[in-house]
Amino acid sequence: MSGSIEFSKVRKTYSISRYKYKRLSEDFGQIIGRILTRKKRSLQKEKLEALKGVSFKIDPGESVGIIGKNGAGKSTILKLISKVTFPNSGSVAVDGKIGAFIELGAGLHPELSGRENIYLYGAILGMKRKEINEKFGDIVNFSELEKFLDTPIKRYSSGMYARLGFSVVAFMNPDILLIDEVLAVGDKGFQEKCLKKMKGFSRGSKTLVFVSHNLEAIKYICTRVMIMDKGRLKKMGKPKDVIKEYLDIYSQKSLE
Amino acid sequence: MSKWFKELLLFKELLFALILREIKVRYKQTALGALWAIMQPLSLMLIFTIIFGFFLKVDSQGIPYPIFSYSALLPWTFFSTSISFGSLSIVNNSNLITKIYFPREVLPLASLGAAALDFFIACLIFIALFFIFRVPISVNILYVLPIGFLMFILTAATLLFLSALVVIWRDLKFVIPLFTQILMFATPVIYPIEKIPQNFKFVYKLNPLATLISDFRDVTVFSKSPDLKNLLLIGLIILIFFIVSYTLFKKIERRFADII
Repeated sequence: MSGSIEFSKVRKTYSISRYKYKRLSEDFGQIIGRILTRKKRSLQKEKLEALKGVSFKIDPGESVGIIGKNGAGKSTILKLISKVTFPNSGSVAVDGKIGAFIELGAGLHPELSGRENIYLYGAILGMKRKEINEKFGDIVNFSELEKFLDTPIKRYSSGMYARLGFSVVAFMNPDILLIDEVLAVGDKGFQEKCLKKMKGFSRGSKTLVFVSHNLEAIKYICTRVMIMDKGRLKKMGKPKDVIKEYLDIYSQKSLE
Repeated sequence: MSKWFKELLLFKELLFALILREIKVRYKQTALGALWAIMQPLSLMLIFTIIFGFFLKVDSQGIPYPIFSYSALLPWTFFSTSISFGSLSIVNNSNLITKIYFPREVLPLASLGAAALDFFIACLIFIALFFIFRVPISVNILYVLPIGFLMFILTAATLLFLSALVVIWRDLKFVIPLFTQILMFATPVIYPIEKIPQNFKFVYKLNPLATLISDFRDVTVFSKSPDLKNLLLIGLIILIFFIVSYTLFKKIERRFADII
C-alpha cells in the first residue's frame, strides 16, 4: 500500500578517510604499492557505523517521530528512506511518492527571486509546473512574503528562507513527508502555523516521519515515536510512554 | 539503459527548471547579460583573425579567416562551455545530492542544455557572417543536423564521465581546464585539418571532436559533403563512449551522497 516504509536489519557505515576528499596521487600510490607488494586491498580505512541493524515498519497514515542525540542515526534513516543513500546490508522498502524538507535552503538559489525559487524548489521536490501554478497563490499566502516575491532571496533573512522553503513543501502532495529539524528557525507565529499544517497532514491518510529535538512538537503531531541511540533503535511506541522514558534516561545520565 | 531514460523522462520538468536556473544565474548581475553567449566566440574570432589570419597568415583555404575560424569556434564553444560548467555540476550541488533524490544526471544535462541555448544564440552571428562575406550556401548544410546530434551526444558522454569522476577525485577540477585547452589545439579550430601530415591523420581523426568540428566547417562554409563512412565510424565510437560513460555515472551515482 502506498505510504508504507519497512526497514529490516539495516546497517549503514560511512568511511572517514584521513582527508575528506580522495586525492588522485593517494589512490595511484596505493594501487602501485599493491601491485609491487602483491598485497590485497588494505582495510585500514576508519569506519563509522551510523546504523547497526535497524528494523521497523511504518504503516500508511502513521506519523512517526524520531528522537535521539546528535549522531544517533536519525538523519541517516531519512536519507535511506528518500533513497539519497543506500544501506550496506539489510533492506529498505518504501512505497509511495516522497516529499522531503530536510535542510534549510537546500534547493533554493540565492541569486534568484522568491518567485523563481518557488518554481525551482517545487520542481526539485518533484512537483509539476502546472501543479505549482495552481497552488502558487496558496504558497505565497502561507509564506506571508508577497512583498518580497521579486527580491533575490540572498537579501532574505534566515527566517524568511525557512518560510519560503516550508511553504512550498506544505503544498506539495506526497504520500510520505519527511521533515528534519526545521522548525528551529522562524518566529513563534510561523512555527505554530507549520505545526498546524503538519498536524493536518498527519490527520489525513499521509505518512509523516518527523525528526526533532522539540519533544512538545513530537507529542503534538506524532502517533508513534522511536528513540535512536548510537545507531540502534532503542524503543518504539506511544508518544507519551516513549518520551517519558527518553526524559528519564536523559535526566539519569545528566545526574551521573 | 532504457530504465534510466524512462526515469529521466519522469524528471523532465526538473531538468527544464534547472536549465532555466543555470541560464538565469549565469547572466544575473552582469551588464551584458545573454550577450555573453555571443561575446565569447566573437571575441575569440577577432583575436584569432588578427593573430592567425593577419600576422601568421594561416591558410584558410580560400575563405575569409573570420568565418573560417568562427565556423569551428561555434561548436567548440558549445563543447568547452558545457565542460567547464557541467563537469563541476555534481560537486557544486552537493547540498541537493545529500538531501533530495532525483536522477543525478539532470545536473550535468542542465549545463548541457544551457550551453546548447548559448550555441543557438551564437548561431545568429554565424548567419550574419555568411551575408557579410557573401559565402554561398548549398544543400549540404543540412548535414549540420546529424553532425550537431553527434556533437551533442559526445558532449553529454564527456560530461557524464567527468562530472562523476570529479566527485571521487577533486584533483580533476584542475586537470579539466588544462585538458580542454590542450584539446583545442588538437582540434582544427585555428587551422584547417588538411595541414595535418598524412601519416598522422589517422591518429588525429580518432579524436571524434576533430572530425566533427572539421565536418561542421566543411558542410557549412565549404559546401562540401562529409566523408560519410568516416562519420559513421565516429558515430559508433561516440555511441560506445556514451554507453560506457552513462554506465559508469550510474554506478558511481549510488555513492555520490556518501563521498561528496
